[in-house]
Amino acid sequence: MLRYSLRRLAIGIGMLLALSMLIFLLLRLTPGDPIDAYIDPNIPMSPADLAELRSRLGLDQPLPVQYLAWLQQALAGNLGYSIKRMDQSVLGLVLSRIGPTVLLMGTALVISIIVGIATGIVSAVRRNSFADLSFSVLALTGISSPAFLSALIGLYVFAVRLKWMPSGGMLTPGEAFSILDLVHHLILPASLLAVAQAALIMRYMRASLLEVLNQDYVRTARAKGVVEFWVIVKHALRNALLPVVTLIGSTIGLAIGGAIFIESVFNWPGMGLLLVDSVETRDYPVIMGATLIIGACVIVVNLLTDITYAVIDPRIKVA
Amino acid sequence: MNTLSRLSAIAIAAMMATTVASGLTRPAQAATLSGGFDVGPGGFQGNFNPLAATAGFTWLSIYFEPLVTYDAKLQKPVGVLASSYEVSPDQLTYMFKLVDAKWHDGKPFTAKDAKFTMELAKNAKTGSVLAARLTPVSSVEAPDEHTLVLKLSAPSASLMDTLTKVMMLPEHALAAIPADQLAKNPWWSTSPIGTGAFKFTKYVNDQYVELAANTDYRGGKPALEKIINRYFADPAAAIAALRAGEIQFTYVDSNEVPTFKEDKSFRVIEGNSFVVNYLGFNHESPIWKDLRVRQAVMRAINRDAIIQSLYGGAAKPANCAYVADQLVPKDIDPYAYDPEKAKALLKEAGWDQINGGKPITLLTYYTTPLATNVLAAVQAMLAQVGINVVPRAVDAPTYNSIVLKPDADISQFQLVYAGLQNGPDAGSINVGLNEKQIPPAGPNVVRARMPDLTAALDAALGEPDAAKRDGRYQQVCKVMNSQLPWGTLWVANRYGVVSTKVKDFVWTPAPGGGPYQADPQRWSIAE
Repeated sequence: MLRYSLRRLAIGIGMLLALSMLIFLLLRLTPGDPIDAYIDPNIPMSPADLAELRSRLGLDQPLPVQYLAWLQQALAGNLGYSIKRMDQSVLGLVLSRIGPTVLLMGTALVISIIVGIATGIVSAVRRNSFADLSFSVLALTGISSPAFLSALIGLYVFAVRLKWMPSGGMLTPGEAFSILDLVHHLILPASLLAVAQAALIMRYMRASLLEVLNQDYVRTARAKGVVEFWVIVKHALRNALLPVVTLIGSTIGLAIGGAIFIESVFNWPGMGLLLVDSVETRDYPVIMGATLIIGACVIVVNLLTDITYAVIDPRIKVA
Repeated sequence: MNTLSRLSAIAIAAMMATTVASGLTRPAQAATLSGGFDVGPGGFQGNFNPLAATAGFTWLSIYFEPLVTYDAKLQKPVGVLASSYEVSPDQLTYMFKLVDAKWHDGKPFTAKDAKFTMELAKNAKTGSVLAARLTPVSSVEAPDEHTLVLKLSAPSASLMDTLTKVMMLPEHALAAIPADQLAKNPWWSTSPIGTGAFKFTKYVNDQYVELAANTDYRGGKPALEKIINRYFADPAAAIAALRAGEIQFTYVDSNEVPTFKEDKSFRVIEGNSFVVNYLGFNHESPIWKDLRVRQAVMRAINRDAIIQSLYGGAAKPANCAYVADQLVPKDIDPYAYDPEKAKALLKEAGWDQINGGKPITLLTYYTTPLATNVLAAVQAMLAQVGINVVPRAVDAPTYNSIVLKPDADISQFQLVYAGLQNGPDAGSINVGLNEKQIPPAGPNVVRARMPDLTAALDAALGEPDAAKRDGRYQQVCKVMNSQLPWGTLWVANRYGVVSTKVKDFVWTPAPGGGPYQADPQRWSIAE
């Protein structure tokens, strides 16, 4: 087990190194660097001042030297300073954004699971009814709606027209922190982020439950006189949920993509907003640091999953 | 209860919870003004360091103050921390008398602070973007606590404009920080102190900055208790927040203006952008060498039609870099729309041999829907006379990386659609047209090598007599109009929208956000 874990760990570290190299190269291939983003044609800077700035940011060094210098600092736990927000460290910036993103995505996931499974069950149980038809149309709409569109429509309807929800931010500016205030700001972006995922879960849940409801053991349960509610909840639902659970895991990537749009529209101070802003301003240290930390999280989670699988199923070790 | 009923009950409960939560919205505090002060082209969200500020002065000047600023109409410099100033007849010595002011921590503001700030601003190691513009300042002296003397190595017509952007900084708080570490110091976003009407309270990452009233302000106790600058990644979100009543002010694009003009809850503030938009001919490309080709471009574009249909009439056609009456001679060519004349000029120049119908890349960093429509119209109008331009919109860093390269690839930008500040200091255009500013020396991205124009610009910038300066800039305008380094298009207006509940609010769409005399201590908001 130890050897397996160490091997997986070594692979993870190798992947992280490869990821950092790939991001570093991609950034350098992108037209424009931080100085190009910083220049304002109305405020001329002398070539000497620009050279000074370039040198201070280490951009005058050959690429391998720049990468190795960054790597050396990163291994020592120093991810450098943001170029746009000069007085803020990359580590501090990234760590302060992880919490809001996890909160937004976690809430969206919970909403999508509850709504998706509940509507999927209703649609399957009341197949071809008005409710089934309505939920199916809504699901199709939800799947077809890109996050930026649903975010803008949701913002207009619930914040501008109905004024039920705040139009953005995580807390009311100028007021003391309160959980209710946070929840109030969270509901709309999380619900909109959940739309596509809930629609997908609903469709899978419906299809899976319909298949299970036609199984012999369900018919047997009904023949034995079990109440319909318990037939669905106790007998059918458990088996129908298996493919849905697998699906939920695989849609996390969808949620990350959607979160970037939602965070931008709602000014949610998470990783998505930070990354979009950093790419626009070619803030190399922040992009490198953020992708490294996201990559590390994904690799650690995968590593833990692999180890857990290995513990549960000893055959994995051989594979 | 069947399954459906149970689920319906859950759904109804969830909806009720949502409704209850929505009812928890607390009304904004009466003495707090919230706005998107850094939304739009004059804003610089996330920057707290005035030395590094290329924009964002509307906000920064609420808690920091310069020695001088522009008046609210951006017509002339007026004193802020300088009660008066004198310029020697040879324009080489500027003497400022300073007001009695206090930093937000209660310590007195003195000429030593002003000297300290000027030296930081002159030092590129601090990350100062003003260092090059302050090169003419050869020495800074503080003979007494209330006097600052700047000595120049040569007269500089732009010095006062530059000084409006030099926000005074406290020596006692910053002197211990090495110059090359200053930009990275967390002081800027955690505990900055200025001398302004409001003091910095807190910054919540990417959310907002909060200022509290400086009750000891020398200009009187501010009417507001707090001012909050909300950050918005998307301007559409700022407009949503304004309509939802969460903020009381933001910059808006011109296409949003009509709906706000109809709404009595808002007041639309309109002002000159002081940015001239132009089609910049890449003078290193052989296709623009013949003046008649450049004249044909000017005559082929129906600028009046574009201004009326796309800008709603809120722009002035520009026949040189300026539109202000005192800077434009009466006898310049208005380049009226005349496609037939344009065709004739192209024929005379032999356009078919020069380029003919081959595509010409028109590069721009403007990515707004308005700019897209403008370029589509320009493309169609030029196509009518036989010039085939293909617009390519990229983000600003990409644009800069293409056009500022010393060995730039001409094919990537034979033509650019861009804008350059033309005021309040008329000398601002120098960097885009003077031969000495061709990259890498500066941002003369069209590589205009026109000795008459360079001479006219140098003469205007070096003119020591302020009374004669407008005449010098008229000469610049005349040369531009006849030689066409750019195909000048227009100077458009820009807009802000403020709630009618806000009283005595001063805002103007100044380039880079100003600064200008906004008197934030007078702003108030009705209950």
